[in-house]
Amino acid sequence: MSALAPRWRKVVRDLSSHRFRTLLVVLSIAVGVFAITVVMGGRGILLREFEAVYAASAPATVSFTVDAADAHVVRAVERFEGVRFAEGRRTLAVRYTEGEQPETASSAGWDTLQVRAMPEFERSRMDLVTLESTGSFPPAPGELFLERSVNMVADYAVGDVVSVETPAGARVLLRVTGIVHDINAFPATFVATATGYVSMDTLRLLDQPAHFNEIHLIAEGAPTRAEASRLATAIRDDVLMARGVRVLQTSVPEPGSHFLGDIFRAVSLLLLALGVLSLALSGFLVVTTVQAIMAQQVSQVGIMKAIGGRADQVMRMYLVMVAVYGVLAVAVGLPIGAVAGHWFTGYAADLLNFRITSYAPPPYVVALGVAVGLAVPLLAAFVPVRLGTRISVVRALNATGMSGASFGHGLIDRALGLVRGLPRPVALSLRNTFLRKGRLALTLVTLTLASAVIMSVMSVQSSILATVDEVDMWDFDAQMWFAVPQGREAVERIASRVEGVVAVSGMPEYRSVFTRADGTESQPIDVIGVHPESDFVAPRISEGRWLAPGDRAAIVLNADVAKDEPELTVGSSATFNVLGEGREFEVVGVVTAGLMGPVGFAPVQHVDSITGGTGAITRLQLRATSSDPWEQARIARVVERRLEERGVPVAFAQTAADQREQVANQLGILVTFLAIMGAILAAVGVIGLTGTMTINVLESTREIGVMRAIGASHGSIYQIFVTEGVVIALIAWFFGVLASYPMSVALLDMLEGAMGLPLVFDYAWSGMGIWLAAVTAIAVLASLLPAFRASQVSVRDAIAYE
Amino acid sequence: MPNERQTGSSALVSLRDVVKVYDTGEVPFTALRHVDLDVRSGEFVGLIGKSGSGKTTLINMITGIDRPTAGEVVVGDTPVHALNENQLAMWRGRTIGVVFQFFQLLPTLTVIENVMLPMDFCAMYSPAERPERAMHLLEQVELADQAHKLPSALSGGQQQRAAIARALANDPPILAADEPTGNLDSKTADAVFHLFEELVEAHKTIIMVTHDTDLATRVRRSLVVSDGEITDETIHRPRAERTGL
Ligand SMILES: Nc1ncnc2c1ncn2[C@@H]1O[C@H](COP(=O)(O)OP(=O)(O)O)[C@@H](O)[C@H]1O
Ligand SMILES: [Mg+2]
Repeated sequence: MSALAPRWRKVVRDLSSHRFRTLLVVLSIAVGVFAITVVMGGRGILLREFEAVYAASAPATVSFTVDAADAHVVRAVERFEGVRFAEGRRTLAVRYTEGEQPETASSAGWDTLQVRAMPEFERSRMDLVTLESTGSFPPAPGELFLERSVNMVADYAVGDVVSVETPAGARVLLRVTGIVHDINAFPATFVATATGYVSMDTLRLLDQPAHFNEIHLIAEGAPTRAEASRLATAIRDDVLMARGVRVLQTSVPEPGSHFLGDIFRAVSLLLLALGVLSLALSGFLVVTTVQAIMAQQVSQVGIMKAIGGRADQVMRMYLVMVAVYGVLAVAVGLPIGAVAGHWFTGYAADLLNFRITSYAPPPYVVALGVAVGLAVPLLAAFVPVRLGTRISVVRALNATGMSGASFGHGLIDRALGLVRGLPRPVALSLRNTFLRKGRLALTLVTLTLASAVIMSVMSVQSSILATVDEVDMWDFDAQMWFAVPQGREAVERIASRVEGVVAVSGMPEYRSVFTRADGTESQPIDVIGVHPESDFVAPRISEGRWLAPGDRAAIVLNADVAKDEPELTVGSSATFNVLGEGREFEVVGVVTAGLMGPVGFAPVQHVDSITGGTGAITRLQLRATSSDPWEQARIARVVERRLEERGVPVAFAQTAADQREQVANQLGILVTFLAIMGAILAAVGVIGLTGTMTINVLESTREIGVMRAIGASHGSIYQIFVTEGVVIALIAWFFGVLASYPMSVALLDMLEGAMGLPLVFDYAWSGMGIWLAAVTAIAVLASLLPAFRASQVSVRDAIAYE
Repeated sequence: MPNERQTGSSALVSLRDVVKVYDTGEVPFTALRHVDLDVRSGEFVGLIGKSGSGKTTLINMITGIDRPTAGEVVVGDTPVHALNENQLAMWRGRTIGVVFQFFQLLPTLTVIENVMLPMDFCAMYSPAERPERAMHLLEQVELADQAHKLPSALSGGQQQRAAIARALANDPPILAADEPTGNLDSKTADAVFHLFEELVEAHKTIIMVTHDTDLATRVRRSLVVSDGEITDETIHRPRAERTGL
């Protein structure tokens, strides 16, 4: 200490003797550093790790679904020009449940398991899965490896036994001998279907032939999607069809794009937007606090200049002080942010079902954190420090008296003077509130920004939830699918006789592909036959019209198809390949439903006529008397059991509530992220307001002393400061509400762009009330500590206060 | 005893036709009206007058704490009115020690650190010399034993003596004090005044604003300020003759 020049000693003393203020300023800056580290760090880690894990899984360029193929066909595909590797697999859907079940037990209510079999798991070169438990590849006959996301909805461990019902209805016991991670499998939370892996030998136990029904390949080089599509078409025609293999489906995903890519992009964009906003918030906090400190130091600046300090010397002292705050803030905010980021990233990765190998924040995030902690405060402090140290000596020295010399002139003050009958303490606090207008403005901007962001976050949440409602264009309580088409009349009769069922609707649903002008094929599109006037569908038309009675080869597409296939405009006619035959349809409309995959709706008579005129159905929807989801699920199980008893095996059943939950789970990731971000921003607001209030107390110590001297009680001092805090918060709330509307619209626009999914805008009106309550509570809490300090001020100290 | 800085009869401090107008409020207020003043080296000048007469404004013109609206302020060879803020700060730090009514010690620095601060700002004396010099000054004002206390632990008189030690830090030829005894009881005020007398004896030039008419009669030359003008001037007997010292 004694080696330091006196002016640097002053800097050190000011920092250490105003511990509470130092703590507040450091916290204000640290919260910004923290927010940036969590948000940007989380984003950086997620993007990096997701990309690494996804790339490491070597996703297939093209996959064919075929009727039957053997190893020779696979080898022929692999030899085809432009193909690097090809592998054959067999996948099938079975129903399963936990534990050993009696042979006689009904499988109604069992879950769906997508079983994947392939030879030589250990030598696979694409769509790789990694073992996360004990055990080793390949699973032995009778053994099953489960994809780990199943444990988000259930609880399976190595050694468990599951009962499986084959498509033919036979019961088989499989033992779980491994838990694996497959980034290319849909997480069980999103599709209500678990994924399992078996060896080819196990297929025999499941009554399955030992040949493949899927061929996956990785192309040479890095083809574009169009190039990959052309390759796929060539292989289909020249290799597969030439060998008599029937190709049911060709899938060419956008190269390098995971099925969660849209949601992922949305999350990452939100994080980026919020990161920028928290940066702005902490910038405002720093300006506010530094300005307050300069206001408090103004007389000391005057003294230093009067005894020979040059403006630049004095300025340097304060900038060094701010830099020290910054260093402390980085030391606090960065590690805590890294820990919180670790937790946050781990949580997010779990939701998205991928593993994080390294939680180290990217270097640019660390650099950003340091910049926010050091550069932002210094930049923010520069103007107030410069103004504070340029002030002329007389003015600085004159500022020592009671503050508020300018009171009585401003518009606000005159307006306040007009309001009569206010209780004295309230009038006094209003006067205090408006007294320090500059800082008030900054505090207001900070809090307003926080309010606007929090309310926008709530609006995005409610918009997402509204979208989930919107997406659901069906009006059913439960539905089930059949592996093989069933007679409509028989199924509808059996189902409608079950007690509690009020309405049933059977519908045919067939996979089709659209052939584009350039000869390449679309992703599979489900064509569903519906009665144009059925009350089971409640379509929301975004373009054109819904099906009309008398329509024949008409089709209404959903938004997912319209997005992928720009050729399919309303009024165009298009060829869809249904059950292996090209059929002409006229596109008459587009409905807004998303998140159910590409779907087209056609008149049921027409679908019947092109699929053999038998009136067969593959899907059954029903409505129940009860609106209770549990009761609906129970009724659905009864229907299932009744159908099975009559020889109609159900492949998959779900209630409307289940379906909504899955959709909500996908979008729920966003909702969760938004909630976490909202909490961080609210914390910024709390710390900011506490800081401002505390500085106000420090600054009005003399006034408090005078009030005490003339008889103000503890209670009225509390009342003054709490009223002040609440007034500030209410004003910020009001302007926050105004700003949040356009901000929500902008955020939602960004999300729509990122997800390619039309979102329903639903401003969170209820959020306004919630945040009003929260902001009032925050204001009261943030003012209590300063108010306590104020009530502790003794008259003697106050008058002597420097 | 002649001061080295004094050349012939020319003044050390010289104000020519100084006008100060404050333009606060609707009507500009003229606080100094064409003031002329010469102070020679080694003089002990008292400025007296009613509250609001313009004493502080006048002394602020001399210290460069405030600027005249019109007129010239020359101290030594320096045209104070023409200096910019930075030049002023450096010039003031070396040339004029300022003493305030409310002491104005920096609250987070100890007494000796407060005294060393002007040396630090003006880069006077080597860092190693500074503590020694500060201690010497504190001895002069009889505060050596309080050197490492914070100002808040000192009485008003002690704080003012510390402030005087600080004003002397860079050994300035001039001391400007605005009601330095205004906040002190008469006994303490007397001690501080005595300190000033010793400093004049040590060839400092002192310009002091005071309320205290008794103290005013003890300075060599007292000037009465009223309504922004110097209206009267009295030369008292030299202190030595009066006190017999
Ligand atoms: N910054 C200022 N703005 C406006 N008027 C001022 C200012 N400072 C002083 N005055 C006015 O100038 C006059 C002289 O003030 P001052 O020099 O402080 O008087 P004194 O020190 O003799 O009491 C007073 O009437 C005072 O009100
Ligand atoms: Mg005065």
